[in-house]
Amino acid sequence: MVLSGRTEAFEPLVGPYRGPLLALAYRLTRDREDAREVAQEAFLKAFRSLGRFDLSRSFRNWLFQIAANEARDRLRRVKRERAVFEAAAREPSAPASGTAPGPEAGRERSETRSEILRALDSLGPREREVFVLRDLEELDIRETARVLGCSSISVRVNLSSARRKVREAIRRDFPQLEEGR
Amino acid sequence: MTCRKALKLMPLLAGDDIGPRRARTVRAHVDACPACRRELDGIREALARVKAAARAESLPDWSAGEWKALMVRAVEGGQAASGKRERFGRRALRPRWAAASALGALIGLAVLSVLFRGPVPGPAPVGTAGRAVEAEAPPDQDVVSMTVVSQETGLQIVWFFDKKFDYEGVHK
Repeated sequence: MVLSGRTEAFEPLVGPYRGPLLALAYRLTRDREDAREVAQEAFLKAFRSLGRFDLSRSFRNWLFQIAANEARDRLRRVKRERAVFEAAAREPSAPASGTAPGPEAGRERSETRSEILRALDSLGPREREVFVLRDLEELDIRETARVLGCSSISVRVNLSSARRKVREAIRRDFPQLEEGR
Repeated sequence: MTCRKALKLMPLLAGDDIGPRRARTVRAHVDACPACRRELDGIREALARVKAAARAESLPDWSAGEWKALMVRAVEGGQAASGKRERFGRRALRPRWAAASALGALIGLAVLSVLFRGPVPGPAPVGTAGRAVEAEAPPDQDVVSMTVVSQETGLQIVWFFDKKFDYEGVHK
């Protein structure tokens, strides 16, 4: 219906995914504001690209794919901005160099970070994407590969390494859990 | 199976992400090796804890107003984008139309030049482009012809005149 020009049909189409998409964006970006931006952009892009949607595919996975790409771009941008900020802070003319916290630090302080996010912080970007999609969103290996545009082998390799790192992070940060076993 | 190989496959086994035959081999090893069993239990427990924490975590959500605004933005943005695409498409088509018209005109001219071209009275001397060659007419000759040959295109234009250089309009 949306494809035939009935734009009001878009909301019922994406409505069921408003929560899951925002949750995915949050788990990938680790920041509520970024997650909101990512999810918004994903919905806007989805509307614009509806004509290219392959009807044989799962609509939810297609949305997830757009959101994952968006989150990746955003994290890359944030990383670049952080590098620029840190380079500027290192310059001798920068006022109160080394003591002034960056926007990232402030954001991290204000962010309520749960245990799970701390464990996921040890993961690389690809490992994180694979772990979130497979273990938290419970997509299977093939769906995960399709969403991320990579092979099933690559998903398995990254998943294996992600699970090992999560286990190590929990052992390191919560030794009491390990002892209690 | 060695412990090293089993440890490699353990994270995938913990989430049931390896094939049944391999899983059986690793399980057989784990049953016989207490260190590997501890490791597998550790990974499984870590996974279970992370999943439980993820389920319990408060996730962000859209307010009704935010969601409404987003949908309006999506629809309006999409319409603007498709309008822009349409305008761009028309603009992009214009040169194609122009090229097609130009090609048609060229073909038409070529056909006309072939249809209305007179017979070529023998090979014309090749000189510089567009050079006119005038035949010297003996006193008893009734008709004089003049040929212009373009070296670039090979186009030949032939005029026939009578003794008084009046154009007769007859092609031979």
